[in-house]
Amino acid sequence: MKVPLSWLREFVEFPAEPRQLGEDLTFVGLALDGLEGRGADAVLDLDVTTNRVDCMNVYGVAREVSVLYDVPLRPLDLSFPEEGPPADQALDVTIEAPDLCPRFCARVLDVRLGPSPAWLRDRLEAVGVRPINNVVDLSNYVMMEMGHPSHAFDLARVPDGRLIVRWARPAERLTTLDGVERALAGRVGVVGGTEGPLALAGIMGGASSEVSDDTRAVALEAAWWDPLSIRRASKALGLHTEASHRFERGADPEAPPAATARVAHLLAKIGAGAARPGLIDRYPAPRPRRATGLRLSRVSAMLGAPVAEPQARQILTGLGFSVKEQAGSWAVEIPSWRSDVSREADLVEEVGRHLGVDRLPSTVPASRGAEGLRPRQSATRAVREALAGAGLTEVINYAFVSDADAGPQAPPRLRLANPLSEEQAALRSSLVMPGLLGTLRANLRHGRRDMRVFELGRVFGATPEGPAEESRVAVLLMGAAAPHWSSERRAADFYDAKGVVELLGRRLGVGALTFVAGGAPGFLHPGLHPDVTEAWELRDEAAVAELELDTLTAAARAPVRFRPLPRSPAVERDLSVIGNEGMTAAEVEARVRKAAGELLKDVSVLKRYARPPIPAGRVSLTFGLVYQDPGRTLTGEEVQASVDRVVAALRAAGLEIRGE
Amino acid sequence: MAESRASSEGIVRELPRLRQDFDAALAGVRDGAGLQELRTRFLGRKSGELTLLFGRLGGLKNEERRLAGAELNTLKQEVEARLEARRAELEAGDREERLRHDRVDVTLPGRVGPVGRRHPLTVVREELEDIFLSMGYEVYDSFPEVDDDFHCFEALNMPPDHPARDMQDTFYLEGGDRLLRTHTSTGQIRYMLSNPHPPRVRIICPGKVYRRDDDITHSPMFQQVEGLVVRAGITLADLKGTIEAFLHALFGPQYPIRFRSSFFPYTEPSVETDLGCIVCGGGGCRVCKQTGWLEILGSGMVHPAVFEAVNRKLGKVVYDPEEVTGFAFGLGIERVAMMRHGIDDIRLFYGSDLRFLEQFHR
Repeated sequence: MKVPLSWLREFVEFPAEPRQLGEDLTFVGLALDGLEGRGADAVLDLDVTTNRVDCMNVYGVAREVSVLYDVPLRPLDLSFPEEGPPADQALDVTIEAPDLCPRFCARVLDVRLGPSPAWLRDRLEAVGVRPINNVVDLSNYVMMEMGHPSHAFDLARVPDGRLIVRWARPAERLTTLDGVERALAGRVGVVGGTEGPLALAGIMGGASSEVSDDTRAVALEAAWWDPLSIRRASKALGLHTEASHRFERGADPEAPPAATARVAHLLAKIGAGAARPGLIDRYPAPRPRRATGLRLSRVSAMLGAPVAEPQARQILTGLGFSVKEQAGSWAVEIPSWRSDVSREADLVEEVGRHLGVDRLPSTVPASRGAEGLRPRQSATRAVREALAGAGLTEVINYAFVSDADAGPQAPPRLRLANPLSEEQAALRSSLVMPGLLGTLRANLRHGRRDMRVFELGRVFGATPEGPAEESRVAVLLMGAAAPHWSSERRAADFYDAKGVVELLGRRLGVGALTFVAGGAPGFLHPGLHPDVTEAWELRDEAAVAELELDTLTAAARAPVRFRPLPRSPAVERDLSVIGNEGMTAAEVEARVRKAAGELLKDVSVLKRYARPPIPAGRVSLTFGLVYQDPGRTLTGEEVQASVDRVVAALRAAGLEIRGE
Repeated sequence: MAESRASSEGIVRELPRLRQDFDAALAGVRDGAGLQELRTRFLGRKSGELTLLFGRLGGLKNEERRLAGAELNTLKQEVEARLEARRAELEAGDREERLRHDRVDVTLPGRVGPVGRRHPLTVVREELEDIFLSMGYEVYDSFPEVDDDFHCFEALNMPPDHPARDMQDTFYLEGGDRLLRTHTSTGQIRYMLSNPHPPRVRIICPGKVYRRDDDITHSPMFQQVEGLVVRAGITLADLKGTIEAFLHALFGPQYPIRFRSSFFPYTEPSVETDLGCIVCGGGGCRVCKQTGWLEILGSGMVHPAVFEAVNRKLGKVVYDPEEVTGFAFGLGIERVAMMRHGIDDIRLFYGSDLRFLEQFHR
């Protein structure tokens, strides 16, 4: 909102320099966005919040200035001479849709069309309005000055001198002032004539009754439109104007007579015409002034500082509220232009604004006790720290994905009704697919070969109960972990990804993790499915993992229970087991544990070997067995007896033993 | 033969030659292996030259054996001592030799292992969480990203067709009334509805939010932290003090803070907080649009309509606006990170470009 200071000075004298004025207005809620020009020609650019439609004009800002510096606000000059026959002889107005238009005012003006005087054109240009001709300019000038939009119809082009306010009829069309022919479907309000619509109610005039060089008389309309109706019509038509912007936010229902009077006053002032006697004012159900109570004690309690009664009264009355003092509470009548104010809290804000929030004291509310992260939250942080510590870099991808990237056999995703693009039309159901793959591809294009990344975030899916979401953690590894000149480059594979998962298990203390082959999503086979590798143009193998975060963090154990340190040494024995290639480490380990008895403390895989001298199709696994009794030293016989049982059990299972 | 006849004289006579031989051999020893060879030659358990002489003592008479034995022992001790001395000498030489050759090129890269890091937004978010934890706030982050009109708008005093909804262009889901939350203010409503100790609230709600906007200052997905304190007697002064404490903890106490009136549908009064521009120090620059101030945080006193909406949903008056008041605030995590690191394009945070992410060391 541009405010030329010369214009502002017509209504209020202020003691501040332009920048100081801008800063003072900033504190009361009209933030200074920019300052153009200097001295008398300075123009403030104010950021007016969407609720303050009353300040989207010079006079509204002047009212704030008058309260700010406690200086008088001059009234608008609404006087004008009337000439000619009564207005209602030439113009008749009917409101057929009072839900659309509670009030419609009109005057008939005889005009001498021409360009506006320079001062008027300059002011319009200073506030960003293009001058057109004196009649249209005056309508715009008054809107920028006092906030109420009006519209001038060429009276000669209003058939039968009749204006009818109604809802548009099906299949009606109207060419608006911008030259666009519009289909008026739905609940669009119009000002019609006897031969069809002449203007879009509260949004824009029509071309057929546009003021032109031939115009000798105009019907000047200023109405009060139902905000919601204008908002919906404006949205439906995709047409947002200065007028609709004000009406949909709630203009002043008492302004229409004044707006037409101000146009008439200025018309006479610039010598461009005169008004015919009489105001046509259709206002079938006048709105009473609204009122609400205000307790000064409440103001102090909300602001946290005592507020002096005269100060509060001065602020409210200066803003146009009328204050009636009653026992314990004030009855405050709300001015018609403050559609944003309806209850006590709003009045507290009005007082607070002008007292200055910045000048209030600062206190910190006492805490009831200490707070800390919940176990799930601490565990989630531990996951991030563990992964970063393991050399993975955290990425955050958009939750939006293309529905086409779901991968083979993926379940349907939640789709957006109004996505920004087809590439962002659905919500991800996995972090890896396509998120981390996208990360991989994007970085490959930058020439990266080695990558270790992770992401924590939510994924989404449809359930019978509706949309559902869950937190996940996913990792992607490609290439070498930490290439070094001293060693051969080794690319990441399945066991690197599994290792990261095991690391998380250990860092969170979730106990033993069991890994079962199969059950992976369709894009894995067992690494990335070749179809995926091809579709995503990935050159190298990538290893990925994705876990339910809440399952992981819920299993986190804390605090750890201390176990006494063993007082006797452990005995270690190694065992090489040869079997067919299908043999899994887990099944051999299970047999070892079962046969070994309770002295066996730990089993680990030391080596896997599948080259000569091991015959083709066979594989050798070397296990390290650790025997220990916390209380005493084991005898060689005890250990050997256990090893013998293990060897016998493995042989019985058809496995070959080397070493023992 | 003289040697066959056992006599102390015979044994003693051989000693000078033995010593001579030993001296000559010792002088020729160059390494540990040579030294070992020498030791074996003279002191070997079966056929060492000295050992053999000791063997011959057995054939002597007592007095002769004592004399010859003493001589032999003297020589043996001398040989052992000299062998030991030479060994030490050789070893010292070896170490020096090793030290001469064992050089490292300290300029070659070390073995670092892979280096990872958290996302710069994670770092900022956890820092914000820690500041508020230290002020006794609970971190409430488990509320949904896919939410509905009631929690996102209606309960926050934005009825259908409210113009304020234009400020937050919303993503809707197909088929139904679900939407992606446009702000973490949904956390206010969700927490109050499930509050374990009503009507007291002291929470921050960090999380992702979504708006239909995509340019260098707007990302369709971004992160906010919402805060809410509700209790009897909470005031706007409490809000100010809390925000000042928080901003001082986050940016340091050297930056001025100002509070100005603003508008949010769910707070009344509403307050915008500006921080003295951390780029230019307040003199005015491109980043602060010559104002010297950076808009950092929106806040206000909880609008009674919000309490009333929650009460209606609960079916009873839990948050009586006459009994309790509250303040709420919200800020963008990206904005803090952008200010701190001088980042000018918000979309970099979500591009997963390692050239960007690897610039941050935490």
